Parts: sequence; structure tokens; C-alpha cells
Amino acid sequence: MERITSLRMEHITKRFPGTLASDDISISVGEGEVLALVGENGAGKTTLMNILMGLYQADEGTIFINDRPVHFSSPNDAFAAGLGMVHQQYMLVPNMTVTENIALGYKQAWKPLKLHTAMVRRRILEISEKYGLAVDPDAYIWQLSVGEQQRVELVKTLCLGARFLVLDEPTSALTPQETDELILLLKRMTKELSIIFISHKLQEVESLSDRITILRHGRVVFNGNTKDHPAGEIAALMTGHEVVMPVNDSKPAEGANALEIEHLVVPSDRGFLAINDLDLTIKAGEIVGLAGVSGNGQRELAEAINGLRTPSGGTIRLLGQDITGKSVREIISMGCGYIPEERNIEGIVPSFSIQENLILKDADKPPFSRGIFLDRKKIASYAEEMRDTFDIRCPGVNVAAGSLSGGNIQKVILARELNRKPKFLVAVYPIRGLDLGAAQFIHEQLLAFRAKGYGVLLISEELDEILQLSDRIAVIFKGNIQAVLGKGEATKERLGVLMAGVQS
Amino acid sequence: MNKRFILIYKSCIVLLAVIAAMALGSVILIAIGANVPKTYAVIVFEPLKNIGLLAEVGIRMIPLTIIALGIAVAYRSGIINIGAEGQMMMGILGAAAVALAMPETPKPILIPTAMLAGFVCGGLWGALAGYLKAKLQVSELLSTVMLNYIAEQFYTFCLRKPMLDPAEITMGSGTPQTMRLTKNIWLSRIITGTRLHTGLFIAIILAVLVYFLLWRTSFGFKMRAAGASARAARYGGIAVGTCLVAAMVISGGLAGLAGAIEVMGVHHRAIGGITSGYGFSGIVVALFGGLHPAGIIPAAFFFGLLLVGGNMTQNAVGVPANMVSVLQGVIILVIVATQMVLSNKYLMERVWRHFQKEQAA
Repeated sequence: MERITSLRMEHITKRFPGTLASDDISISVGEGEVLALVGENGAGKTTLMNILMGLYQADEGTIFINDRPVHFSSPNDAFAAGLGMVHQQYMLVPNMTVTENIALGYKQAWKPLKLHTAMVRRRILEISEKYGLAVDPDAYIWQLSVGEQQRVELVKTLCLGARFLVLDEPTSALTPQETDELILLLKRMTKELSIIFISHKLQEVESLSDRITILRHGRVVFNGNTKDHPAGEIAALMTGHEVVMPVNDSKPAEGANALEIEHLVVPSDRGFLAINDLDLTIKAGEIVGLAGVSGNGQRELAEAINGLRTPSGGTIRLLGQDITGKSVREIISMGCGYIPEERNIEGIVPSFSIQENLILKDADKPPFSRGIFLDRKKIASYAEEMRDTFDIRCPGVNVAAGSLSGGNIQKVILARELNRKPKFLVAVYPIRGLDLGAAQFIHEQLLAFRAKGYGVLLISEELDEILQLSDRIAVIFKGNIQAVLGKGEATKERLGVLMAGVQS
Repeated sequence: MNKRFILIYKSCIVLLAVIAAMALGSVILIAIGANVPKTYAVIVFEPLKNIGLLAEVGIRMIPLTIIALGIAVAYRSGIINIGAEGQMMMGILGAAAVALAMPETPKPILIPTAMLAGFVCGGLWGALAGYLKAKLQVSELLSTVMLNYIAEQFYTFCLRKPMLDPAEITMGSGTPQTMRLTKNIWLSRIITGTRLHTGLFIAIILAVLVYFLLWRTSFGFKMRAAGASARAARYGGIAVGTCLVAAMVISGGLAGLAGAIEVMGVHHRAIGGITSGYGFSGIVVALFGGLHPAGIIPAAFFFGLLLVGGNMTQNAVGVPANMVSVLQGVIILVIVATQMVLSNKYLMERVWRHFQKEQAA
């Protein structure tokens, strides 16, 4: 098979009803090159890649592979030409093995009445050897971590004959360690093939890419070599203005205890103890960052505080009142706000409109309802108000919230949670997968909430986020608090060591 | 995409579906040697020709509408109620029992009491499945179907033993049925000379009530949230289990009420065969009507038309009614498949692109 030594998309224009998703975009990638496609949510990166992969057709413009014009009218054409894409959401069947998943797309293995799994298995081992991608072909998908699942996606794409890779936000769901591994891996792979990857995170853009193309509002606003431009410059070009991530530099308030957790024990879904004898106190007017590698009990802790999971021991007190074992509804009414980890399926009802999602917790209270009836005028005007205040970008407050981009979904959740006038907030991975502009906005809101004298539990894996916002930092490891550090004492290195479970 | 395009696109697909269904049906009709165009004309147009037959369509619309409304409430709340048939039987028993117990009660009291009894009996039967799902995660597909079997046997038992017409014992024919119920429970006829009764108005009022419940009240909001995403609803402090049980009480209650109205308006006694599959057809009517009251009423009319038209083909063109059932099955399958096509936005976008190119050229 011929190598792909150059790929160009020239003067690509794509119109959607009411918007110009791609406006005369040209990009090019040479042999063994890594192109980072960066831009805010909604800048048109994914649309452009969908055009490349034959999911959409461009209204104007041409794609060239090895200087020959090509036309893809379906994803199959793009695969046949050697392009492979790993999407943000992995397309794997959880209760099938790695081999079976890859066999699904591996047409050569489909014999009449027989699926040639042995052949697929050989191919997997061959590929994982060649690229240094360690996967166990016999593992079930549900047994694998997110990072391992991503490796399976990569192996799948390569097994199916990809000689050019497109990665849509490959690190958005990975832990920092997994991200580092992936970057090393991709660097090795550039010996064999070229890569386009979409990202928000400037760090990884810097460490991985050779060249950068920045999109804004569907147009190319910058094109250049990565090493010639500092991160700050790239960030400013991305958003169109200087990006200064807000930093918590004020003195911590010496308030009363907002949240007190003592000897908390919480079971996980699989029956073991996800939280085991955990103690943590958060004062009013303070942001406590909970650092830790995901899967160490963060989810269970957040759910236990919010009444979604029943603790098997210990107590949780919110603003002095015991809330252990209380219902979700009671805890909400006592003033606890919650930004959940899974914003797309837990934080919103995807098929409900934006305005319905904004009143999810208060549908039966005034002003949104009078007696048993909803007050549709008030709901609509409230939604319009929130749309302006929180800069929710949407065609209208009546569209399904599930159709919005991640950043805008997060703004809907934030608008709902903060406008309910909570007295305490649990924020889990609040900026995961968001672009800089949206992340900046959300951090500003969290700091403003703190400035009003309320407490925040910020759960995150991003050490930068934790260090910028927290007054104190607690490190969680295997369901227990390893250490609590003051703002001054915490450094990335020290946190990293604690997160790995080493006691200092 | 503009609104006009969407409307034309959807109408075209519905039209294509009708043509496809009729084409498939033609194969069956040709196979049995029937006159194809005439058979279709009888099924669709014959019932519209005179007021008596139109009234018969209306009579079938009543239980179909009420049951479909209940199915829609359950479906929107995240539970698929296949037990309407059994819930309807319980409703019939409830209403009949009230009439048998207090035949002397004046009409204005007896009618609402009997209806309430029908609602409560059906609702309790539905609540069982709802409770099992909410508390023990028992699949409603399993529980509602099994409850149908139990209801069916219980229904026959009641008609054979405790509620059996005393005349049947003395006369000895032993048909399982109650005695003719007191006239105080009969619903009045709307059009003299036909059997169409005031249940039609009740069905329409219920459609409006169900719309208000689901889309205008905060409780309906919660039920829909629980149905659309149980996890997000739980996160939002909504008691998902309570919503499930409530939805099943309403759903079963409406099926029971449909049974009560059917016995009070048409049969005037509880007897085997009253439900005649309405509980299952109601599911199709609900889905065909887009799980929305405004769609359910026309869908119920259409199905009523098929039921009445189907009965007429035997005499008119010599096609047995059983064959018409087969035909109905085909039509329903095609319609359900069409709904899938209609909800495929990608296909719509592709057609739109094509259409734009044509225009540009």
C-alpha cells in the first residue's frame, strides 16, 4: 500500500442552515508530520474533519492525497484511501473482547459462516508490536480503563489499514499519566504515518505537533510552526483575546465549617469500599481542591455528599446539619449545588430543551410554577436571561440541550446550579474537554461564588486547575485523604507524588 | 432547511408508506384471488359512507384513544405498558361490580362511581408492575404480560362464579357473563339509531387532560424527565420510582376506565371478549400518534376505520375478515418502519442537499 506523503484540503467551504461552518479553509500535512488543529468549541474543527472523513460533503473545495484530487462520498471511501479517525466517543461494544470488536470492522475476516478471529488476533498482535501499542486481544472492553480503550481504538483504526490518523480530542477523557503515555506513543508513530489531531490543550499541542492551524468561527486565523510561537500567543489567537486564567490569590476566609465529613465509608458499584474512613472539612468561603487520579473514590464521594449514593458508615454535615443518608431532594433544598462528572447524561436530560434543563431542580417551585401548573412565560424569560448572563451559545432556548457543545452544556449546568443560590458547591471536573474561553469563564464563576463566602469542593485531575483555584488541596488515594496541603506548600511535583500513593 | 421543505418531505414519506403498505397488501389479496382496488375502497371508504357505520368507527375510537393516552403517559415516563389488556379487564370488573352492588343508585352518582371503580381497579393492576420496576427493577415487559394472563383468568373466574348471571344458572346455558346491568349505568347515545355513546366526549376530554398533565404541570415535567433520562432526573432530585408508579397508576387507570366506559356504553354487561385486543392495538395507536394526544386522536380514528372496514369486506367483496387482519398487520408494520425513516435526520439532510443542488442547477 502506498504511503500518504501529503494531504491537503483546499478552499473548503461548508454551509449549514444559518451558519458557515467552514469558510474557505485550507490545511496541509506532509509526510510524518503532526498537525494540531486548535480552536474553541464550535470553531469548525470537527466539521472539517468530518468532511475529510467523508461524513459530510464540502459545498466547495477539494481534498488532495499525494497531490491527486480525491472525492469521498462516504466514510468507506475515506477508509479505502487510508484515512482513519478516532472519535471523541469511542465506538466499542463493552461486552465483547478486543478481538471481537476489531473483527466487527475487519471485512477480510468475514468468511461465509465463519468469523476468522484467529486472523484478526494475529493482525492485532502484529500492529501492537509494530507501534508499541500494548493491548490484550482477549480482554473485554468493560474491563479496560479509558486509556486502554483508546489504545484499542487506535489499534482498530490501524488494523483496518489506516495510513493517516485523525484524532478528535484524544486526551479529553484521559488522566495526566495516560496523556503523557499517549503523546510518547504518537511521537513514535510519526515514523510511519502522519497525524492530524484536534485539541484544546496547549501543552500537548506544544509537545506533540510540528505545525499548528488555528480555526476561529470557521476560518483559518493562523498557520505556523509550533516551535516558533509561544503558548500565550497561540491562546490569544484561539480566543481572539488575551486569555488569563483566573487565579485565586485572596486570603482564605476564616468562616464556619460548610462541609464536615467524618469517618465516611461508601461502597462502590462493584461492592468494594470506594471511600474508606475519609475525613475532610471545608470552610465557608474556601475552595478545597481534591486532587487524585480518577477512580480513587472521587465519584463515590461526590455522589455520597449529594445523596445519590448511600454511605455505609460515617457522617456528612452540610452547614452544621447531618445530611448522611438524606434524599437528593432534601440535600438540594438545603443548598447544595452539584456539577456532576458526566455532564452529558447526568447533568442534563439530553432530549429536554435548554429551558427545561434550567428548571430541572425547581420545576415545582415558584416562579416556575403556580400551583401544579408550569408558568411557561416565566420559564422562557428566565431561560433567555440565563442565556445572556452565562453566554450560552444556542440557536434558541427551545433546542434540545443534548445538541449543544460540551462547553455550552456545562454553561447550562452552571447557570442552573449557581442561580439556585446554593450555599455549597461540589464541582467535578468542571472544565474537562472545554476550550480555554469556556474554562476561563467557569473558573471566574467559581471564584466569584467563593468570594460571596460559600464553600466549594473542586474535584479535578488537572493540577493546574487545582493549583490556580484552591485555598487548600486534599489528595485522595484509594478512598482516603493522603494529605491536605495549604496553597503555599503545594507544588505539582509534591501533588504528583502524593497522588501516586507515596506518603511523604 | 426550511419549514416548507420539512412538511413536504414528511408528507411524501407518509404517502410512500401508504403506497408501500398497499402494494404489499395487494400481494396478499392477489394470492387469495380478491379484487384489489375494490377491497381497498371498501376498507377505507365504505365506513365513511353512512352515519351508522361512521358511528361504529367512533365506538372503536373511544377505547383506543383512552388506552393509547395511558400508554403514552407510561412510555413518556420510561415504562412500556403492555398490560393494558389486563388492566382493561380489571376496569370492566370494577365497573360491573359497582353496578351489580348498587343497582338502585341514581344515574348521576352511579356513573361517576362506576368509572372511578374502573380507574382504580385498572390503576392498581398497573401499579403492581410499576412498583415491581421501581423497587426491584423487574422488567415491565415481563410483569405486565404476566399480569395480563392472571387478569384474564381472574376475569373469567369472576364471570363464571361470583358475578355470574343468576339466570344462566337456572337456564343452564352457563355462558360466563354478568346479568344485564342496571340502566342507570348506561351511557347515553349521541346519535339516535346508532350505538355511539357519550364516551367519545370523555375520551376527548381525557386527551386534553393528559396533554395538560404531561406538558403543563410540574408533576408531568418530572415524569417526562424520569422517562427521558432516569439518571439526570435522580440527580435533579426527582423521585424516579414514585414517578414510575404514578405513571403506571395513570396508565393502568386509563385502561381500566376504557374498560368501564366500554361496558357502560356498548355491552351493558360484563362478558368475555369485550377487550378484543384493544389493549394491544392501543400501543400501536399511541406510537402511531407520536405519543402525543393530538396525534393519538386521529390515529385512533384511523384504526377504528380499519377495524370497521375490515368487517365489511366479507360481504362486499368476499374477502374474509381474517385476511383484513393480516392486511392491518402489514399496514402497521410499514407505518412503524416509516416512523423510523421520519426520525432519521441524516436522511432528511441528504435529501435537502440533493434538493438544493437541483435548485441551483
